[in-house]
Amino acid sequence: MFDTTMITTSLVKLNALAGGLFLLTAFALVATRQVLACLRIYIGQSVLLAFSAVFLGALHGSVHLFLVAGITLAIKSILIPRLLRRTVGQDIYARREISQILNVPASLLIAVAIAFAAYAAATPLLAVSADPNESINLPIGMAGLFLGAYTICVRREAIPQLIGILAMENGAFFAGVSIAPGLPLIAELAAAFDVLIIALVMGLLTRKIQEAMGTTAVGEMTSLREE
Amino acid sequence: MIDRIVFNVIQVIVVMAFAPLVKGVLARLKENVQSKRGPSVFQPYRDIRKLFHKDEVVSMESSWIFRFTPYIVFVTPIFVALLIPVLTGYPLFFAFMGDMLGGGFILALGGFFATLAAIDTGNPYGPMGASRTRMVGFLAEPVFMIVFFTVSFVAGSTIPYIVQKYWVTPLANFFEPSHVLLMLSFLMLIIAETGRIPVDNPSGHFELAMIDESKGLEYSGRGAALMKWGGSMKFFILCCIFLNVLVAPWGLAQTLRLWDVLLSIPLILFKIFLFLLVLVVIESSLAKLRLFRITEFLGAAFATAVAAMITKLLMM
Amino acid sequence: MELLYILCIPLLAALGLLWPGRRISAQGITLISSLCVLILSIETALRTISAKEIIAVPGFISCDSFGALILLLVAVVGFAAAIFSWGYIDKIGETRKGIMVRPYYALFNLFMVSMLAVPLFSQVALVWIAVELTTLLSVFLVSFASTPEALEAAWKYVVLTCMGAAIALLGILMLYWGMSAVSQGPFTWEGLTMASSKMSPSILNTAFFFILIGFGAKVGLVPLHTWLPDAHSQAPSPICALLSGVETTVVLYAIMRLFPLFHGTSAANMGMWLVIFGLLSTGVAAFLLIQAKDYKRMFAFSTVEHMGIILVAVGIGSYGAHFGAMLQIVGHGLAKAICFFAAGITLLTTDNRDIGSIRGLIRTSPVCGFFLMVGALGIAGAPPFAVFLSELSIFKAGLASGQYLVTGLLAVFIVIAFVGVLFQVNHMVFGKPAPTLKTTIPGTCMAALVIVVLPVILLGVYIPGPVYDLLRLAAYSLGR
Repeated sequence: MFDTTMITTSLVKLNALAGGLFLLTAFALVATRQVLACLRIYIGQSVLLAFSAVFLGALHGSVHLFLVAGITLAIKSILIPRLLRRTVGQDIYARREISQILNVPASLLIAVAIAFAAYAAATPLLAVSADPNESINLPIGMAGLFLGAYTICVRREAIPQLIGILAMENGAFFAGVSIAPGLPLIAELAAAFDVLIIALVMGLLTRKIQEAMGTTAVGEMTSLREE
Repeated sequence: MIDRIVFNVIQVIVVMAFAPLVKGVLARLKENVQSKRGPSVFQPYRDIRKLFHKDEVVSMESSWIFRFTPYIVFVTPIFVALLIPVLTGYPLFFAFMGDMLGGGFILALGGFFATLAAIDTGNPYGPMGASRTRMVGFLAEPVFMIVFFTVSFVAGSTIPYIVQKYWVTPLANFFEPSHVLLMLSFLMLIIAETGRIPVDNPSGHFELAMIDESKGLEYSGRGAALMKWGGSMKFFILCCIFLNVLVAPWGLAQTLRLWDVLLSIPLILFKIFLFLLVLVVIESSLAKLRLFRITEFLGAAFATAVAAMITKLLMM
Repeated sequence: MELLYILCIPLLAALGLLWPGRRISAQGITLISSLCVLILSIETALRTISAKEIIAVPGFISCDSFGALILLLVAVVGFAAAIFSWGYIDKIGETRKGIMVRPYYALFNLFMVSMLAVPLFSQVALVWIAVELTTLLSVFLVSFASTPEALEAAWKYVVLTCMGAAIALLGILMLYWGMSAVSQGPFTWEGLTMASSKMSPSILNTAFFFILIGFGAKVGLVPLHTWLPDAHSQAPSPICALLSGVETTVVLYAIMRLFPLFHGTSAANMGMWLVIFGLLSTGVAAFLLIQAKDYKRMFAFSTVEHMGIILVAVGIGSYGAHFGAMLQIVGHGLAKAICFFAAGITLLTTDNRDIGSIRGLIRTSPVCGFFLMVGALGIAGAPPFAVFLSELSIFKAGLASGQYLVTGLLAVFIVIAFVGVLFQVNHMVFGKPAPTLKTTIPGTCMAALVIVVLPVILLGVYIPGPVYDLLRLAAYSLGR
């Protein structure tokens, strides 16, 4: 019953499921209003990234990818949220962001268009490869990257912008797990710590902004401008 | 051939007979979850019977639309019941009369007349509710379309019987990302179309806040009975489409024997019961959305459906 | 081996400064560490002229002549900034509250480590990490003054550059993908260049665009430059010099390293894209420069302009243009340091950021006026400064390779920027004097200024042999 082709196809399908849900979390980041919900969606996204790494590792038989999954889980799902909770005060998380630059349905439509653009951009690249996993992870990772960038552009609060950057890195890693599985482990470790430092620096900066200006609505800060 | 016609008729009778039961079970489950006793599960039958005995009061300002709408609302789900898989896994006699898009349009016809009738009487609450229903309806249309297109893209056809064979029968396909995302999207759609929380409160009495309930406000006697019955049949039909085409088409009769067909009736009721449990959990844990947040809700459904389509295209 | 020392010395200095307690002179430690780094960098540069490449850890840390050039630039400007900081930070600590000296120097050293690491790492993924670290370690330096404007500038800085870095990450992963499909070599710049002829062109092009846009946001290429005037004007002046003169250059180095990957007609195409982006940056910056009201913002726009010029020079594609680009890198780094140091002492003496309200500096504070004039002439490209020579060689190369339109547009934009800068600085330096604060300018600041002015004049007149060899080898490594 457990022949290799069935295991292979089911692993491919499970990886595709992780990819589909990853895309869904990227859309959800655009549409959520609560700051705490953004953080939770990010944790979910990182867990999906770890799952994808596990499935791909089982497919290629590479222990390396399992280590990557472990690092991702440890740092992105556990350490970073804890760090963000510590460095930024508790009351910031209770905020809801009442308005974005565009209203949510329009944002979702643009997000859908962006996802299609990512798919269109990735298709000529995939013509050279024969691996079915790459054809899932690369477009979805690229879409996650672009959607994270879009989230940063439309949000006004500091923490959702921060999570947008972390989501962009997630998207890039999601693509990287399938197209660059052999990247030296030291590079993966260093990149993971780098994401940790990003979260730390931006969290501390958010706290400083909160202390100095009493609000973290960074989209409203437009004092430095040419008149 | 005669068998298929007979089974089709049995299918329609099942839909007509058990639709109020489903509504009754849902109402009772909701109350049970809140630690109350709730009405009897057969209460909708008693309500419909009572209403048939009562006199109808019709406004002098209304037109023929008002008087015809209850019949249309009652008959359109019956037509759709002819087209979709309720009891059997193979196409019945009328199955090729219309496909999923046709079924969707027929249901929309019923909704269209209900909206017109609500405006017809001159009651101020009618048009308010009607315009809100239309808003939800037109926002839900693109989601319907994308769901149907994605599903048909896989199966190469829009007839629900054929779609269901390709879509879910190999068990591994259940976990396909497009399948999971379409299930989520269609669930949100059912909630919107049938007026459940978080889109609308089905047990609310406050006319200013009604969306779907407002279509039955002005009716009395036989008209009210037909509107109620038609509404519960529409809910039953949507559940059947969701469960038998998208989620879990197992337990449908595969042979032409009468006994198998009769055996599949409790099975479909059991599947609907499980779905009602999920619905009750959703309804009891969420709050009703403010009116203009409904557009965000349906936008999220749309984005989910598109994500499903994208992942399907990616896996091709 | 010295490469490892170059990285470890400032790191140890920073860790030592972060250690609480103990009365150590933070300035002294920083000065000693940057002096050691400078000496080691000079030695490395001289060795790369004779040997082709110095390898410390094979596949990870190595340095060739182009890297050595950038390393030397970072070391020199870092040393000068350390000297300048000594007097400057103490001075502003007297007048403003909330200035903490030791964290400043600790961050300064960490920032230096990250900038030194970029030319030294040869593993491309580690280069990306080093580029990210240059941003992250300088965020708190940008927001050092803790005013609302500084915090806003720091936030825009970190968000836009991290966004760019994430896009560049995908580009680098795609490069790895393309390379691993055709060769088993290490993922270094050399490995990439050798495998580049076999790599799939669509992957190479897409990866290049992602890296150009992503790192371009850090370099300040239009239209992703919006953070640059804010961050580079709100930071304390020695940090501005490092950010403008060196950090943007270091990231531009990473982009330029991709250029040899293209051969033949695709090289011509990529060159055209680089020229387009460069001209766009130069043009927009030149026009924005004219209407800047804060002199530090004006110098920041001038950075964007020069980055555009260097990119155009790389895109033109001939050896002469590449040599001009290398000389421009060196000249710009040093001249920008002069500008920002001069702006720093101007800020100390006048306590005013606005160009319109400062007049007659040459009377009230001759040192400020003189160095501001020197800096403006140096950055705008007047003889006898190095920038003039490099811009002239770029023009010559452009005309020689037949790209008349490009050279013409470049000349127009440079002239506009020239006029803009000199007009604004003229307004500040000459005219009826407005009252100023009577503060003495710390001696270390003036020493730092002299240290950076001398090479700029020297390189404008005569390029010494070893420096010429270094520039030549660096230009060759760009592949033409």
